[in-house]
Amino acid sequence: MQCLLLQINPYSGATFFQFFLVLAARLWQCISGQSENLVLASDEIQLIVLVGVALCCSLLGVFLVLRRMTMLANALSHTILLGIVLAFLATQGMSTADHTTYIPLNITTLLLAALLTGVLTTFLTQFLVSSIRLQEDASTGLVFTALFALGIILVTLLTRNAHIGTEAVMGNADALQLSDGKLIWLLFAFNIVVIGLFFKEYTITTFDPALAVALGISPTLFSYLLMVQVSGSVIGAFRAVGVLMVLALLTGPPLIARQLCCRIKPLCWISMAVGAFCAVVGVALARHLLSAAGLAFSTAGLIVCVLAALFLLTVLYSFLRLQYQPQSE
Amino acid sequence: MMVAELFTPFLDPVLRGPTIGCMLMCFAAALVGVFSLLRRQALIGEALSHAAYPGVIASAVAAAWLGFEADETVLALAIALGGGASALMGLWCIQLLERKLAVSSDAALCFILAIFFGFGITLASNAQFSYPLIYRSVQAYLYGQAATMTDSHIMLYGILAFVVAAVIALFFKELQLVTFDRAFAMTLGLPCRTIDTIFFLLLVASIVIGIRAVGVVLMSAMLIAPAVTARQFCKNLRSMLLLAGASGAFSGYLGNYLSSAISEILATAYPSQRLSMPTGPAIVVVAAALALFSLLFAPERGALIRLIRAILFRYRCLCENILKGIWKKENKKETLPHYTDEFSFKVLKSEHLCSAFSLYLALLQLVYNGWLQRAPGGFHLTAGGKIKAARIIRVHRLWEVYLADYLGVGAERVHLSAEEMEHVLTPELEKELTLLLDNPHHDPHHQLIPPHTIL
Repeated sequence: MQCLLLQINPYSGATFFQFFLVLAARLWQCISGQSENLVLASDEIQLIVLVGVALCCSLLGVFLVLRRMTMLANALSHTILLGIVLAFLATQGMSTADHTTYIPLNITTLLLAALLTGVLTTFLTQFLVSSIRLQEDASTGLVFTALFALGIILVTLLTRNAHIGTEAVMGNADALQLSDGKLIWLLFAFNIVVIGLFFKEYTITTFDPALAVALGISPTLFSYLLMVQVSGSVIGAFRAVGVLMVLALLTGPPLIARQLCCRIKPLCWISMAVGAFCAVVGVALARHLLSAAGLAFSTAGLIVCVLAALFLLTVLYSFLRLQYQPQSE
Repeated sequence: MMVAELFTPFLDPVLRGPTIGCMLMCFAAALVGVFSLLRRQALIGEALSHAAYPGVIASAVAAAWLGFEADETVLALAIALGGGASALMGLWCIQLLERKLAVSSDAALCFILAIFFGFGITLASNAQFSYPLIYRSVQAYLYGQAATMTDSHIMLYGILAFVVAAVIALFFKELQLVTFDRAFAMTLGLPCRTIDTIFFLLLVASIVIGIRAVGVVLMSAMLIAPAVTARQFCKNLRSMLLLAGASGAFSGYLGNYLSSAISEILATAYPSQRLSMPTGPAIVVVAAALALFSLLFAPERGALIRLIRAILFRYRCLCENILKGIWKKENKKETLPHYTDEFSFKVLKSEHLCSAFSLYLALLQLVYNGWLQRAPGGFHLTAGGKIKAARIIRVHRLWEVYLADYLGVGAERVHLSAEEMEHVLTPELEKELTLLLDNPHHDPHHQLIPPHTIL
């Protein structure tokens, strides 16, 4: 399939349910072999990328929430900006040409920047806690705000565009390309492989680090590995949802799933399902609001709103279940 | 004139607003940050500042809808109220998640942070097209936009900062007690929940004041960094508050100064590119640099200072151990046949398990102090060195007697503790031990305790 944007988007004017009808029709066309004339609409590219982002983040989020490392992931999502800027500097130097808002970097540089930033953030925070003896919450806060401020300064100086910071935070779902989709699904495949291979180690280092050490499995190693995976996913999701929405996808689905089940494998599956569901509904909702009411909203923002609504529903459900539970005390 | 240059930000009508405004904001944030650091809730400011964002957007849009978008003061007031209400709602949700739904505190903070901020982004994305003018002025609150602050802003934020400081002064004793010893406060009947609420209201107020200077995303830096700086230098709460406030205000001043100065330099160096240094991040970088400096170099608690003190202490222990070792060997010599080569550098190195360099330095120091003298067979004690070594041995053996006879520890376990304590016990403690133990003559290993000599 080519990655061109159609002049006539088959989804324009579609309301919520029509969106799914059009999607189903195009899927059928694709499956039944008429794919020569088919080019991907922007909505479909958004679907591909955002579902990939949601799946990636929900899966990793389960382990982050259980290990109480979400603040570290928050820190990471901020410092990744500095990593991207430094990677940009390293590859392209202080060019004086006029820059557009999209910084074209190849994938290896980006992933390397993600890896280094992840390790740097975790290392600096741990260093402040153990060697400088600063409280953990203060050291996390200090490290990531300082690095993020440096990143913002560099970005503003380099791109002379004061709004790059806004885009870094908000993302721009409408400017997505299929290459972003390839990157994120590659990252998702990588995550699935790593978590599948090391599931037992991740589980034991999450729930009983002391036993893990006694068995010879290093909790620190798997913390660092998890952080590397998170940094990769954050960079992959950067252009789609911006850094702060990644946090919603990292924490929301696991919290929702936690209300519904209490064993780790179902937790992972439900979390991924919830994430994917919110992504799909969010894209459809964005199209619906644009067609039906003429209101333009950010797709990532809508995904977060859907997550919040789902969380409220789940809380209500578990509350009601408690109320009407048979009196077995 | 460099000195006159430092005062221009206060006099120049364009620079005055941003500089004084930022100083007031950072001052207020630093005061509240001290309490949030001491309560180990440093990151709640981060969550609440992001949670304030939807309120900021919503109230700005409402103000625009009512036709006030041109009036700066009304807009600032509306944004303050809206942001405050939204942050309070975020706080309420966080507490609900933590208490009723048993969500761990960091997950609750991150979740509410992300959800509320996401709401804000959703609203902003629509406002971008429906109310573009107000959108531009509200985006200033994302990373701060001090440069467009006027005297009316100084007034507004000055009043708010004064209110924050006044409330802290009014409730100082209660806040202090609840922060440091909550259990005692509860036994006294103090309404701890109410005082917590006062603290959270102060936090929301300082966030609302501060987001114009450094923005929503960087606000938590101004809560944490000045407090960390102050903690390194101060031991009581009053001085910590004062130093944190001063450090915050200074960061506000220097950040503004640096951003305008560097922007000027860049404008003259690369005029065609219109580069500029943003103020909010500059303030944060200054504050973080101050915090880093104080973490490393503060007189008692600085990490590098402590490292240097530890190295110097180990060096002193090495010197004293050398003196001790030589004294013991010389005393043995008096009763046993003559040993050659016992006091040479090589033998000393193998005994004391240190690098050749440190041993060389230590020997140099001891010779310089007049406690060792160089002889053909190696190093020997001088008269002064004999007295000093004897004192160390005396303190060592007194401590062994104390542990073994007074405290009842077994004689085989006292040696290691005495090896450490001999370097630490002062002459006053030595006198006390002598009195307490009734001037013993033998230690638990039946060795003679050298008598007390006046150095």
